[in-house]
Amino acid sequence: MKNLKSIAALAMSLFMLAPSSLFASSHREAPITALDRTADVTDWYAFVSYDNPNNVTMILNVDPLLEPSNGPNYFPFDDNVIYQMLVDNNQSGIPSVAFQFRFHTEIRQPDLPVGLVGGIAGIPPITALNGKGSGGLSLRQTYTVTMLKLTNGKVTSSTVLNAGKTLYAVPTNVGPKTMPNYPELFAQGINHLGNDVTVFAGTVDDPFFIDLGATFDSVNYRGVRGSPGDPVLTAAVDADNTHNYAPDSVGGFNVNSIVLEVPITMLTVDGQLHGANTVQAVIGTYGRTARPEVTVRRSPNALQNFGPLQQVNREGNSLINELIIGTGFKDRFSEDFPVNDSQFANFVLNPVLAGVLSRAGIPVAPNPRTDLLLLVQYMPPICPACKAANAGPVADFLRLNTGIPPTPVGSQKRLGFIAGDVAGYPNGRRPIDDVVDISLRAVEGILVDSTKFGLALGDGVNTKTEGFNNSFPYVLPANSGRESDHIGPGQAGCTGLTDGICPE
Amino acid sequence: MKRIISELCTIVSVATFAAAQSITGAASTDLLPAVQSIAEGRKAISDLPKEYAGYNLLATALVRRAEETSDVSFYDQAEEALKKSLALSPDNFETEKIHVSVLLDEHEYPTALESAKALNKRALDDVTVYGLLTDANVALGNYKDAEDSAQWMLNLRRGNRPAFIRAAHLRELFGDAEGAYEMMDLAFQLTSPTETEERASILTQMGHFRLASGNPEAAEKLLQQALAAFPGHHAALGNLAQVRITQKRYAEAVVLLQQRYQVVPRAENLYDLAEALQLAGRDGEAKRAFADFETKSLPESSKKDNSNHELTFYYADHAQQSAKALKVAQQEYAWRHDVYTLDAYAWALHVNGQDAEARKQIETALAVGIRDAKIFAHAGEIALKLGDRAAAQNYLQEAVSLHTVGSEHAQLVLAQLSSPREHR
Repeated sequence: MKNLKSIAALAMSLFMLAPSSLFASSHREAPITALDRTADVTDWYAFVSYDNPNNVTMILNVDPLLEPSNGPNYFPFDDNVIYQMLVDNNQSGIPSVAFQFRFHTEIRQPDLPVGLVGGIAGIPPITALNGKGSGGLSLRQTYTVTMLKLTNGKVTSSTVLNAGKTLYAVPTNVGPKTMPNYPELFAQGINHLGNDVTVFAGTVDDPFFIDLGATFDSVNYRGVRGSPGDPVLTAAVDADNTHNYAPDSVGGFNVNSIVLEVPITMLTVDGQLHGANTVQAVIGTYGRTARPEVTVRRSPNALQNFGPLQQVNREGNSLINELIIGTGFKDRFSEDFPVNDSQFANFVLNPVLAGVLSRAGIPVAPNPRTDLLLLVQYMPPICPACKAANAGPVADFLRLNTGIPPTPVGSQKRLGFIAGDVAGYPNGRRPIDDVVDISLRAVEGILVDSTKFGLALGDGVNTKTEGFNNSFPYVLPANSGRESDHIGPGQAGCTGLTDGICPE
Repeated sequence: MKRIISELCTIVSVATFAAAQSITGAASTDLLPAVQSIAEGRKAISDLPKEYAGYNLLATALVRRAEETSDVSFYDQAEEALKKSLALSPDNFETEKIHVSVLLDEHEYPTALESAKALNKRALDDVTVYGLLTDANVALGNYKDAEDSAQWMLNLRRGNRPAFIRAAHLRELFGDAEGAYEMMDLAFQLTSPTETEERASILTQMGHFRLASGNPEAAEKLLQQALAAFPGHHAALGNLAQVRITQKRYAEAVVLLQQRYQVVPRAENLYDLAEALQLAGRDGEAKRAFADFETKSLPESSKKDNSNHELTFYYADHAQQSAKALKVAQQEYAWRHDVYTLDAYAWALHVNGQDAEARKQIETALAVGIRDAKIFAHAGEIALKLGDRAAAQNYLQEAVSLHTVGSEHAQLVLAQLSSPREHR
């Protein structure tokens, strides 16, 4: 009974203090991105490539919770949004390397009432992104990839990485009649650009996993220990990296994804590979979207009124804006630069959620939470060689020690770094990393003292219903529109399985 | 003009506050918008006396009424309503914002700025607070900070009208009347036909920008539209009078300014009327109007909400009391450094023979970017007094090229400067 009261208090407190944005990775986390979904960064991943320790893969996912059947125009990237991946390699808090993606939409058959069609009215099924078999791709998108080098935030060089090569975004999976071999279309979206650079863009299965419904019901988790609402997992559930004990609310939904794999040497400050015990091995990364800015002063360029790019949304650590930043500050956080994040430092040092957990009877580490600074500064253990002088400003980057080799597939752990899998979050982030559970435990205080503040908090969603792709582009093909469903424990389609646990 | 912008910002801000708290009122639609809103506010309080929202609604309506009538007692009533609101809901964020808007309207800019900064720290995302910061910083001459705040307004909520209005104002201050017009036009497109007062205010600004660009014909069309939308709109009357002055139709300017003074009997409006009477050759009436202006202006001179700019120019240019001009200008300069204060201060220094300092101040004003014929003309005369004929010529030519109020006077000075006798 006491526990029930605690959970109820937790739920009410969360409802009061952090309405509508907790835990949803970064899906519509700020008011402004709720109104501008094509510019909404849902998730940001950066990790040393599983099959190539000399490369880093970055994934920028945007436009949340795309229902696969939602035709007729589905989910194109926005031609007016500039999508960027940014890297700080000198602990300055200011990116020195950026990769910029711009999309262009063409309507190839303006008289057609739908953007994607095939196997009907004399139009052959879509089997290719270009040339024969692509006629049904009436709405087709191409894109460019540009690498920028920056000094103190100013662009000093710019290189089009796809020079001479047209890149096509992979459309969503409409269904088997229109796209009889969707995996083949998906594979056509993988582009090798030379110099060991590989890129992919398109609509894919959203790799994020979470029990959104229980979370938004004021953290009313399924209670695997037997008490509804209980956020603590049993040891067995906690140790299970491959099954879910609650519905993966993102299961069956798609997302727009840009994936780029580049040599580490393109990212480090001196263009060299470095061992894990060096400062130079550690980079800070984030993904962002931007639109042309309406400026107070008119720009001298031809586009009157419009000046430089204005950031709309960004993500470094997956849940900083959701779990840590106050609702009245989220838009400013989304639009400001990481180097200015010291204005939000108090949210990190005194996290509201920790207080909420405490009031629910869960032991949490006391404030100020300097242990959480490792998420926003260059510090051990992600950067073992970093001293105070290397910490850099408070800046929400996803930090990655490129000198730490990837954990082999099969040995990776969903709880990443805190479970001893040092190639996992918060040392970068892989699709397999369960950032919801990791973040809950980080806020609880596991980095301070795992014996005192180490209850196994979690939502019961431990993996991705659809599974993972363990090679480039590290995301799975989009879910089929015609076969669209969202199966999870407690939902139809999962009930026939042992204890209703999904996937099989 | 600075006051009109401030009023426009207030009207739109207040309209925004009011819309946010709108109730289905039972007030008559025959009433002026502010009077109607006051009735709605009182009804809301009567219906739900324990709710703060009614008091906020009443306060915003009272501020608007104060602007309409120039009756400062409405500010006191607004403050009283806000006190009651805060008693019911201490630290209420919306109430605090309205309080800052009242402070701005009362010209308590330093206090308003500090209060707005505190609110900004409480919620970095609140666009209205950035508007309050912009207004306070503009009034105090902190233009970089004002630009930063306005830019955040534009960024945080794309396409929002209050941001466009602030940005337009800043563009004018930065010397871009054409860009200001474009920005204000965006605001106009977002204004509903039912918002007659807001439409009139925005059209008036657009007319002002056209006049500032040397296009009195386009200005007149816009100002007539404003007056059609909201008959007797005081700012439209004032700007149309400026158009008439550039057209040398002084008698009509006098009529328009008399109408404006009837609507808003503020001291600075009386000063404009006196100057127009003088231009119209009605010296006796002008003299009486100037005297009345001084009488009306002096008691408010030590307050923040004053007509000290006009009082400075009155002492400097019409009463030949240069020491008094400098004293008033110094008093204003002590707490604000906006371009109009710097201009008045520089001119007061000039008439007191302190031209080196005068030049420093007027060039500080011009460095902001503003292109105002009167300020350029003052800069030209100050430079001339210092013997810098080249600079004087440049400044005066800038004033003449604007083809607006103040250009004619600059032309006269320039002609004297270029005459053979002057050359000798």
